[in-house]
Order: sequence, then structure tokens, then C-alpha cells
Amino acid sequence: MGVSKVIEIPYVVELPVGPQHPALHEPLLLKAYADGEEIVKVEVNTGYNHRGIEKLAESNSFYRNIFICGRVCGICNTVHANCYTRALEYLLGLEPSSRAKYLRVVAMEFERIHSHMLINAIIAELLGFEALFMNIMLDREKIMKAKEILTGNRVVGDYMMVGGVRRDIDGVKRDQLINILKKIRERVVYYRKLWMEDDTILKRLVDVGVLTRVNATKYSFVGPVARGSGVRIDSRASDKYDAYGEIPWRIVVYDEGDSWARMMVRWDETIESIDMSIYALEHLPSGETAIPDERKLPRKFPEGESYARVEAQRGELTYYVMSTGGVNPYRVKIRTPSFLNIIHSTILYPGYTVADLPVIFGSLDPCVSCMERIYVVDLNKGVRFRIRLKDLALKKVV
Amino acid sequence: MSSISRLSKLRKFFVGEGVIKPNRKYFVFSSDNIRLLFSELINTIGYENFYVSTIVGTDLISENKIRLDYYVVILPEEETVVFRTYLPRDNPVIDSIVDIVPGVLSSECETHDLLGVVFQGNQFLKRGFFVSKDIVDKKQYPLRKDVKV
Repeated sequence: MGVSKVIEIPYVVELPVGPQHPALHEPLLLKAYADGEEIVKVEVNTGYNHRGIEKLAESNSFYRNIFICGRVCGICNTVHANCYTRALEYLLGLEPSSRAKYLRVVAMEFERIHSHMLINAIIAELLGFEALFMNIMLDREKIMKAKEILTGNRVVGDYMMVGGVRRDIDGVKRDQLINILKKIRERVVYYRKLWMEDDTILKRLVDVGVLTRVNATKYSFVGPVARGSGVRIDSRASDKYDAYGEIPWRIVVYDEGDSWARMMVRWDETIESIDMSIYALEHLPSGETAIPDERKLPRKFPEGESYARVEAQRGELTYYVMSTGGVNPYRVKIRTPSFLNIIHSTILYPGYTVADLPVIFGSLDPCVSCMERIYVVDLNKGVRFRIRLKDLALKKVV
Repeated sequence: MSSISRLSKLRKFFVGEGVIKPNRKYFVFSSDNIRLLFSELINTIGYENFYVSTIVGTDLISENKIRLDYYVVILPEEETVVFRTYLPRDNPVIDSIVDIVPGVLSSECETHDLLGVVFQGNQFLKRGFFVSKDIVDKKQYPLRKDVKV
């Protein structure tokens, strides 16, 4: 019998990972092309979670935007609000009190601690260490409790305000926070040791997803990803905003450039953040109020432009604010670290195996809600519409 | 040596300068010189010593212009300098630099999708990079001041 059909098997197969996928915790499509087990190319597709926050900011007042910016991302809400608030302070020429600056640092470092612990827990889960994931998350709860004591909420703190912070702490709370931090420190040192010594972790992370020093800057990688490739950048050190110029700490840099180095940067930074927070709490300036009187803040802003940077847990986060002399900003531009780290990550995957893909992606600490930015989708009617945050809060949307 | 003084070779491209608060210097250049400017920057300090942090596009509707700000971080000082240029609002076209500075890819794609700036030579430009299909279908650029979304 003659051949009647020929089935062509493509040399390279297309492997869509996402936008909803067990290996990705974020709505993003990584279109991987594999030759057998080896990845030869990856394309990143975005646009699954864009919320139009920059446009929303133009129709809200300078002050209301503090709450909107704090909701760009749940994990990084304090740094977003801090960066935007400082951009407003630059426009107004306002300087917060020393006590407020120290409290801001403590709040932001608490956020870094729980964020770094979270991504390391996720990496453990991606590697198959379910028990380790559970243990890290259990210890992470302690820092969430600490954040609640400081800001009043375990996740979205709404702690920043123009000229200071929204809540102060007394001596009892300060001692409580220091005790919690000392307990967490012991656990983080233990986890760091695991990442240094465990054979499975080393086999899955070392030499996987290598990013060279020159490519780190050429492709604009920032934060722990760049520092894991030997790039000594940290806006806490260069801009010395808030109290970062008064608290002793060191920039963590690893030269290896692989997924392991990126995770080690985060463990070392977690220990640095704990020590910084303890120092800040023990040296909290007294005699000044950290909470400004909101009634004395100007309603209208002077004409001008400002640009603030903050070292978020995922890297350099920037806010540009332009005022034309009214009550609303003319333009707000947000550039989040994941916007650079994820879209440019396509150079990291080729040459590695399909099983390495989620590990490399996870080592970048991806955050799509940061990267894209309120639409409401009515699934029954199949329509999308925009609503005011106030209406959402009052549950006017059915 | 401060990072600004290391950029002295780039002065020939600048037609104006100013400061964005708190202390970020900006230099105005002609949009025709974008590729020459960044090529000179690479030749002067090398890829290891700078990265493009972001491109901020602003619709200046009253002036009928679109302003583009390239925020460049100079290393190791980590000092931010801004290269600023203006494009006509009815035909906002500028040469892409994605082939010489690959780190601008995301910013060029975003600025195209939200403001309608065309970066000539960037083959990755597409509508729907961020915005939803209904806005793409209406051919709207949401960050334009005359667009209500």
C-alpha cells in the first residue's frame, strides 16, 4: 500500500506558558519555542491586567492619588505610595520630620522582608519543596503582624502622607516590633543556610538563567536581578531619600548572575532589612511629630515637574509627576521594576530546559499588577466598564 | 569626576537645559539626533556604565506637541539625567534606538500603545501591548489629552 499521507512534525514546538498557568503566579503569556527539551526562543505577551492607573491619576486630586498609587500593587503598596508622596513633596518643597523619615524606612523595609520571603517561598514551591514553602510562609506571617502593628494593616498600609506618616508608635509597640524582628532573623539565617547548602536547590538554581554584567545594564535590568549580576545599583544608597543616609547598611551584590545569585541577594537583603529596621526603631528620633496636620497642606500645587525614585523590593521604581498649578496632576508616569525585568527577560531562557523556565521566571520576582495597571468586567453581559473607587468601596457595583 | 562632566562630549547635541525637581538635570536635543546622541553615549561611557530607566511621554496639547523624556541612569554614581525632545502632535515620529539600546524596548512599545508615538525601526511596536481590544478598535491612544476612556 502506498503512502497516502505525510505528517510533518515541526522541528521546534510552540509551548504557551500562561496567561493562567500553575507555574506562573501572574497573568502573563510566555510563548516558549522548544527544540526537544531545550528552549530556543521565548516571547512575552502582555496586556492581560492593564488598569489605566496613569489616566485615572489625571482625573483625581494630588492627594487622592496617594491611595490609588498604593493600590498599583499589593505587595509593594508602601513603596509606591512613598515614591509618589515624595514626588509631591519635591513639588511643594516640603520636608518630613526625622521621626517620620525613620518610620517610613521601617515600613518600607518590613515590606521588603515579607516580599523577599514570599518569592523565596515560591521558588521553593517551584522546586518541589512544599514543606519549605509552608515553613517560610509561616514565618512570613510574623512580619505581616509587625506591619499591622506599625501601619494598622497587614498588607495595604496607606501609611504615607505628604509631610510624614499616618500613624506613630509608642515605646511598647516599638519593643514588640524589635522582638518580632529578632525572632524572624534567626529563621532567615537558617533559610539562607539552606539555600547555600541544599543539593537540590543548588542543582536547580546554580548556572541557570545566567545574566551577564553587560547585559544587565544593556537590557535595563534593575534591583536584585541586576545586583545578582554584579551591578552595584540601589537608589537607597544613591538618592539617600528619607532616613537611608543615616542608617548603616550595605548594598548586596553577587557576581554569579544566575538564578541562585538572585535569590541569595534577596536572602542577604532580608537580613540587612531586619538589621536596618532594628537600628531605626532603636534610634527613632523623638521630640517631633511624625504625623502632619492635613488641614495645613495646600490644596493647589505649584506649577512644575518632579521625579522620584525608590528602591522597591523588585528594583528601582520611579514616579514622574507634572503639575500645571491646579488640584489634579497633568501627568503621572509610573515605571515599575517588573516592567523592565519581565519584558526584557526573553534573553535569559534560550539554551536552558523547559523545566528551568518557571525557575528562571520566578527568580525575577515577577509582578504583573505592578507592570500593568480599574476596569470591571461583567462576565454575564460580556461588557467592561470603569467605575469610581468610591463606588467600588461602597459596593455600588452589582 | 561627576557623571555630568563625563557627558561633555554630548554637549554638541544639546539646545537647552533645565532641572526637574529635586535635582535631575535635563538636556533638550533635536529629535533628528536621537541615534547620534545615544551612539555617542555608548562610545563615551560604554554599555556597562548606563541604563535607560524609562521614557516619559507627555501630551502637551496646548502646544500641539508631544514631549519625550529619556531617563538615563549613569553608573557607578547612579545619577539620573534626562534627554528631552519634542515631536509634532499630529505626526509624532522618531527613530527607534532599540537596536543600539535594547533596554528601551518596553518603554518604546508602551509609549506607542498609550500615546501613539511611532518609533521608526522598532519591529516590535503593536497596538494592544497594554491597552484592551475595545480601545485598539476605536483607534484611541488613552494618554492623549483629548481622549476620554
